[in-house]
Formats: sequence, structure tokens, C-alpha cells
Amino acid sequence: MPRGKQIPRAVRDAALTAAVLAAAVGLCALLDRLSEGENHVGLLFVLAVACVSRWTEGYFWGVFSSFFGVVCVNYVFTYPYWEFNFTMTGYPLTFVTLLAVALMVSAMTTQIKRQERLRLESAREAMRADLLRAMSHDIRTPLTSIVGNTAAVLENRDTLSPEQQRALLTDVNEDAQWLIRMVENILSITRIRGGEERLATEYEAAEEIVGEAARKFSKRFPHVRVAVEVPDEVLLVPMDATLIGQVLMNLLENAATHGGASEIRLSVERSGSDAAFLVSDNGRGIPRERLATLFDGGGGAGGGSDGKKNMGIGLSVSRTIVKAHGGAMTAENRPQGGAVFRFTLPMKEEPERDED
Amino acid sequence: MKIKDKVLVVEDEQSISNFISAILGANGYDTLVAETGAEALSMISSHCPDLIILDLGLPDMDGLGVLREVRSWSNLPVIVVSARTHEHDKVAALDAGADDYIEKPFGTSELLARIRTAIRHTRTPLENGSIAQSGKFSVGALTIDYDKHHVLMNGTDVHLTLNEFKIVALLGKYAGKVLTYDSIIREIWGPKAKADNQILRVNMANIRRKIEQNPAAPEYIFTEIGVGYRMRDEAE
Repeated sequence: MPRGKQIPRAVRDAALTAAVLAAAVGLCALLDRLSEGENHVGLLFVLAVACVSRWTEGYFWGVFSSFFGVVCVNYVFTYPYWEFNFTMTGYPLTFVTLLAVALMVSAMTTQIKRQERLRLESAREAMRADLLRAMSHDIRTPLTSIVGNTAAVLENRDTLSPEQQRALLTDVNEDAQWLIRMVENILSITRIRGGEERLATEYEAAEEIVGEAARKFSKRFPHVRVAVEVPDEVLLVPMDATLIGQVLMNLLENAATHGGASEIRLSVERSGSDAAFLVSDNGRGIPRERLATLFDGGGGAGGGSDGKKNMGIGLSVSRTIVKAHGGAMTAENRPQGGAVFRFTLPMKEEPERDED
Repeated sequence: MKIKDKVLVVEDEQSISNFISAILGANGYDTLVAETGAEALSMISSHCPDLIILDLGLPDMDGLGVLREVRSWSNLPVIVVSARTHEHDKVAALDAGADDYIEKPFGTSELLARIRTAIRHTRTPLENGSIAQSGKFSVGALTIDYDKHHVLMNGTDVHLTLNEFKIVALLGKYAGKVLTYDSIIREIWGPKAKADNQILRVNMANIRRKIEQNPAAPEYIFTEIGVGYRMRDEAE
């Protein structure tokens, strides 16, 4: 779904300034007719300048409004009307007040925005650092095995039997495949680096994404049976299809490699205003001690026992992807054995915020 | 003696072109390798390969540039190699006239299958023009009757709507080839139609409910996520 057109900042700010100032002028004109005094004029413009400075970017519009305010106060709404009078007693004070308000509020606004940005950036940075730590740990093992196995074959061509060479090369191939899947997960993270507003979502038919994931999975794991179930109703879900495909792939692969499942059921159903995706298997299930920290990334305390079980990264990436779509992901063991992973995606796109 | 098909591999990473050459050589193809776009273009005109495997990321020019240059004077099959996450590259390459694409990293059997399909397609040229093609197309239990505007499953009419028929007919005409969402929308709803993927998704879902046993495990029309749809080929 293409995002609504972003109105350029400058245009938006100019329009906002014009609106606020017009409102101030209007109010002044109205009050002018109703009452005798002129005190309200200055105050109203102080308020207008404060509003403009708070709502617009940078200093320009605030300062502009304070000049405009001075002109209005001096020229239009105070005696002598429709005439400049720079000798008026309050004049320098009005001007200084408006300008000071504009500068102070603008400075505060800018600072708040900068802090907000810094906070977001550091949160993102922390997430990235966590992932990197977990990854580099997990990547070293297969790389070591690849280097070792290939060196063994290269240096012992004459002494190793063809079967032994074949076994070593098969290991290399598997390790490399594993690394590729790892890199695909990392790449997925870079696609959502900016958080929700950066996702390129489009309405996709859930059944197509599910069906395609099952087809790809069956090519890689021909010995695992996958049953796909979709409702009669066509569920159109806004999503980045490649990323959700990745999530389904991670869940299917986990079921096969970590759960040791021989049968997996993959289904989609409507759940209120969400589409719910379920991956349930007949494997070993999730060890009780890992259930709590399953999605946190890394292998967990004893998770690295065989060196390359990176269940953590695939799952933490998956949950990050689902969260970025505004959905949620849960995991539990089925009473009859095996694990079930469930994630939801909202079917309505979040309303845009720029309708102001 | 059988004449070997000649494949030009355009790839700047030697480790990759080496293994592609090894695989192709072992499977009865003659292989040429070009490392830059300029080299590729000159080799295409001097060696007349039967097929090109084109990596989109080349050092001297955009792979798409090479593709467009080739397409300006030749129909020879081009298979584009692209990274998994770059759907836009795939779509752009298909729209620029690539015959197929293959995702990095790819397996040997997948590469060979794509090459065979692409070469077979150029040996059995399709008629150009509109969807109004005559005759019949059959794959598995599915038959598209272009004269009567019917789609039959096991000989029984499945009653597609007009647009549904047009979509199936179009995919059948290019069976084995991925058609991008935009190109299908343009063909069915006209060049001025706003690219609205939702209508296409819903139409496809309805088609699948009529011709597939399980719409989520299609046997005839496959989804290429983020790119388009593809009708099963006879040989699959």
C-alpha cells in the first residue's frame, strides 16, 4: 500500500502559521468590536507566536510571526489605527516580548525533537548491538567448520577416501546453507531498520504467502509433510510479503530442525480484525526452560550446546518483523505434543497521522 | 554429434562464474564468461550465445542496461541473477524483457532447470499480439480453450468470469514464465488502470478456488512473492 503523499514540511508550516495568525487577527477584530480596551491584542499575539513556534520546525516561522504580530499590534489594532507609531510607549516592549517568546519556544521545541530522535536512535542501536553479538557468536562455529573441512579435503586428497571427502563436503554445504539463512534473517532486519513507518506494505492474499512458504519449505525439506489450510474467505492483509514469508520460513525450519517434526500444519484464520497464522508440529516441543526467553535472541543459557542451534535469532527476527507490522507472536507446547507458534497481523492498515 | 548450447555467464565475481562454468560444462553446455557489461555486449555480438545468465550488479554498468541493449536487437533468452530481497530488481528486469530470474544463492538443479526452460521457450516461439490466441493449452488436468473462452478441469467447464478467464489465458500463453503483477494488470484492465494489486489478488484467489484442489497449495498457478504469477509449464 503506497503511503499517503507527505506534504512538504515547509508548505505545512507555512499553512499552519497562516492559520494561527489569521485566527489571532480574527479574534482581535472580533474583540475590538465588543470591548473598549486594547490589552487583549498583545496577549493574543503572544499566544499565537507561542503556538506557531511550538508547532513548526526551526526558528523561521516563530520569528516571522513575532514580526507580523508587532506590525498588527502597532499598525492595526492600537491607536492610532492604520498608522505606524514607533513612539508608542509599549512598542519596544511588545516587540521584545514577542521575539523572546518565539525564540524560546522554538529552541525548546527543537531541543525536544532532537532528544526524541536521539532516544529512538539509541534504542535502535541497542537492538542492533544485541543482534550483532548473538550473531557473531553463532557465525563463528559454521565458519570454523567450513574452513576446517575444506582444508582437510584440499590437503589430504590422496589419503581420504571418496566417501570421506564426500562427507566432509556435505558438512561444508550444510554449514554454508545455514549461514545463508542466517544472512537472510539479518537482511530482513535491515529492511525494517526505521521501525513501522518504513515498512513497504501492500495488501497480499494470506493464502498466497502461506502457500508459497510451504512450497519453498518442501523443496528444502522433502521428508517433512506440510499440510496447508486456509479459510474460504480471502484474507487480504497489509504486509511486506518477503518479510512475512521469511517469518513463516523460520517457523517451518525451526519445527523441522529443532523440533524434529515429521508433520507440520500451517494455517491461516480470521481472528477478529486480525489474520492469525499458525504453525503447529508434532515434534519434541519447546523445552520448558526456554519458553520464557524464546524470542529474546541468542541461544539462551544452554542453547549453544551443539554449536549452531540459532533458534534464538530466527525467532527474535521473526518477532521483530511481526511487531513492526503491528502484530504479536506467541509460542506454546501443545498438550498432545509438539509446539505451536502463532502470530497475528492486523488486516486494517493503521490510519495515517498526517491528516492534520 | 550434437551441437552444444552456448551459455554466456556475465558475472564479475570469479568464484561464482567458476562454479557456474563447472556445472554447465559438466552438463553439456559450452560456457563463456564476461566480467563486465561492455565485455558481455561485445561477446554477445561476436559469439552469438544461445542463452545469457546475467548478474544485475556489474562493475562498469547496470545489468539492466545490458539487458535493454540486448533486447533492442535480439530475443535471445536472458536469465537474471538477483538477490532474494530485491523484488524491485526482479520486477524491473522482467519488465525490461528478461525471460526469468534466479535468486542468489541458487542450487545446481534449479539453475539447470531454468536454463532448460528458457532455451525451450525460444525454440517454440509464441505468437505475438493480444490474448486472443487460438487453439488449446493443456497442462495436467487443466485445459484452456482459447476459441471457446473456456477453462476446463478434467474436461468440465469451471465457469470463470471474463476477467478470470483473461488472467488464466494470459498466464497460459506464457506458461513457465513469471508475469509481473503490473504487466498482468496492464494487460487485463488496460494501460490506464491504476495499479491496484488488491483486485488482482482477489481475482486470483477466486480462480484458485475454481481450479486448484487446495488454493494454498496450488498446482497450476504459482505465486512469486513480490513479483508476479506463473503458470505451470508442461515439463514441470
